[in-house]
Amino acid sequence: MDIDKLRADFPVLQSSKAIYFDSACTSLKPRAVIDAEMDYYTSLSACAGRSHHTLAKKTEEKFAASRERIAKFVGAKPEELVFTKNTSEGLNLVVRSLNYSSRKKVITTPLEHHSLLLPIMEQQRRGIVKMEMLKVQQDGTIDDTSLSTIDSSTALVAIHHTTNTTGIRAPLEKIVKAAHDAGAMVLIDGAQGVPHSRVDFHKLGADFLAFSGHKMCGPTGIGCLVGKREAFEKLDTFIVGGETVETVSLQGVKWKSAPKRFEAGIQNYAGAIGLAAACDYLSKVGMQNIEEHEKKMARALLEAINSIPNSTIYGSATAQRSALVSFNLKGVAPHQVALMADSLSKIALRSGVFCAQIGMGALGAPKEGAVRASLYLYNTEEEVRIFAEAMQKIAKLG
Amino acid sequence: MVLCFIALPVFLVLSIFSAKYRALARRAMDCVLKTATLRPCDTGLDEEIKAASIAGIMKVSPAAASFVNRHMEALSLVFMLLMVLSIVFTAEGLYNYWAYGNCNGQQGGFCPISDIQNAALKVPSSVSGIMAGNQSANVTVIEFGCYTCPYTKTAEAGVRDMISQYGNRLSYVYEAFPIQTHPYSREAALAGLCANDEGKYWEYRASVFERQADLNANGTAVLYGIAKDLNLTQFDSCMSSGRHDVQLKNSTDECTSAGIYGTPTFFVNGKPYVGQTAIFDVQKEVKRLLGE
Repeated sequence: MDIDKLRADFPVLQSSKAIYFDSACTSLKPRAVIDAEMDYYTSLSACAGRSHHTLAKKTEEKFAASRERIAKFVGAKPEELVFTKNTSEGLNLVVRSLNYSSRKKVITTPLEHHSLLLPIMEQQRRGIVKMEMLKVQQDGTIDDTSLSTIDSSTALVAIHHTTNTTGIRAPLEKIVKAAHDAGAMVLIDGAQGVPHSRVDFHKLGADFLAFSGHKMCGPTGIGCLVGKREAFEKLDTFIVGGETVETVSLQGVKWKSAPKRFEAGIQNYAGAIGLAAACDYLSKVGMQNIEEHEKKMARALLEAINSIPNSTIYGSATAQRSALVSFNLKGVAPHQVALMADSLSKIALRSGVFCAQIGMGALGAPKEGAVRASLYLYNTEEEVRIFAEAMQKIAKLG
Repeated sequence: MVLCFIALPVFLVLSIFSAKYRALARRAMDCVLKTATLRPCDTGLDEEIKAASIAGIMKVSPAAASFVNRHMEALSLVFMLLMVLSIVFTAEGLYNYWAYGNCNGQQGGFCPISDIQNAALKVPSSVSGIMAGNQSANVTVIEFGCYTCPYTKTAEAGVRDMISQYGNRLSYVYEAFPIQTHPYSREAALAGLCANDEGKYWEYRASVFERQADLNANGTAVLYGIAKDLNLTQFDSCMSSGRHDVQLKNSTDECTSAGIYGTPTFFVNGKPYVGQTAIFDVQKEVKRLLGE
């Protein structure tokens, strides 16, 4: 993996000269993705699956091919992939559309992103589900003993693949097994997992997997919900409209099967084409290479922050994690650290509670949260060295 | 929070020149309004300003950055106090400009607004003051002065030098423009016209400037004393008859209409110079015009 060559693919790195450590929020986009998305608007710009003119047919072909390539990227079949706006929409779709008539319990963890936690909390507020939590230890790992909470009254276990607060992966194998043993379904928030490691939907064994395009070098406004055919059949309709039905009469509606049943209205064709290009790009680089690179970056990051006196890192340093570290420097507010890193060395960091307020609280972070450095395939050890220098300087303010 | 109060006027002023500061001004305004209504300021602007300031200082001196970081609140309060003071002084300057035509009030002095205004000054349509030199000379200096004005007094030595140095090559005209806020300025102007009636204007002028402090302290008795010293026999009747009242009023009104607001005001071939140090510029201009 030639990082220097790879970095040339990302126009923002060339134009801004920034050190981009905010990939957990959104990743940078390579030229291939930008070109692919633009190509839709400049050479097609038509609807798929409706009209029969040449441009429409070409759009349909490209849209279908994109679905196929993205599905393949996560080890799924094209008909198992529903296009959504983002991960949040995919998670909402499952949590709000699942039938809870026979089982009401939904199990999750306090570490979840608001995109997963809030739909469950909303369903609970409406009296539709009963939410329960798996226990999380102080180091951000899940307490295996709490898996016993998953029982025959559990309808759904909804959990992250990798948290956006610590970069630590959940023990999915154990969780999926416990859920399926109890007859419950499993929904995985793959927003921070799919971009950073090889995720094979079928090997994972979950029923649903949601992820976003923009966190994996793809465009914003496009995401996916991957689900098993039989799992989709257990979902009620979500957003309905054009192309979600076979026939409509005043007496009743015959819905299409997934994925079409969940793709109402004109789709984000450009986004889908761009995301497919992103999957091709990541595949070309190699997810194994990316994972190895991130491991190296994670080690360098942890070392850099650990060397700062009075710094606090959230989550276990030894657990399997992506190149994402949340931390605080004593005596300097997290927002100030992030703003100063930007001013001093053009380092883009995130600060706050990362849309995971309960999770940050569970990790022992203060009310104002922490600073987060999240790296990706285009980051280098030299950048980590500059980051370390900047943090050393900022820490002295405290 | 305090930083937003400091930032608001700064960004408002910068907004006049650059659109990028308007969004910042809006955020500062939002923060100020929230603070004023006892709500938490959540714009984040104060944090951004603090971080940018400390980062800037850190590039020069990490120790100073650490000091500023530790004492940001106290320093902000000091800056806010300075800002309030500067607003007060600015308001005072604007009031002075409105009331006296000069930011510094009755004392006069450098005033940038006045300088802008001076460029628009014009010579009154008719000037009928005291003359000296050669009235057909190519270089004309017209002075509008006030006998009780310390700045006119300061300029006097330079005026005298100029008249004596250039003689017939210069046309000099003096017209009294009594400043209303200066006590006895009108009486001193009338006294000057009465002294001129008896051919002793320049002697009177020398005396009145010499005894300016005395006049300001003791009033018109000083003028009568000067008249007595100069043996002005018609002075009392001239003053009591109001012989020159209309003339002085008309010339003062004309000066005001022409935009003259302070003394001394000079016109060198129509080009205006105003204030305490204007005589030096006048001398340079005269020298230039005379090819010296």
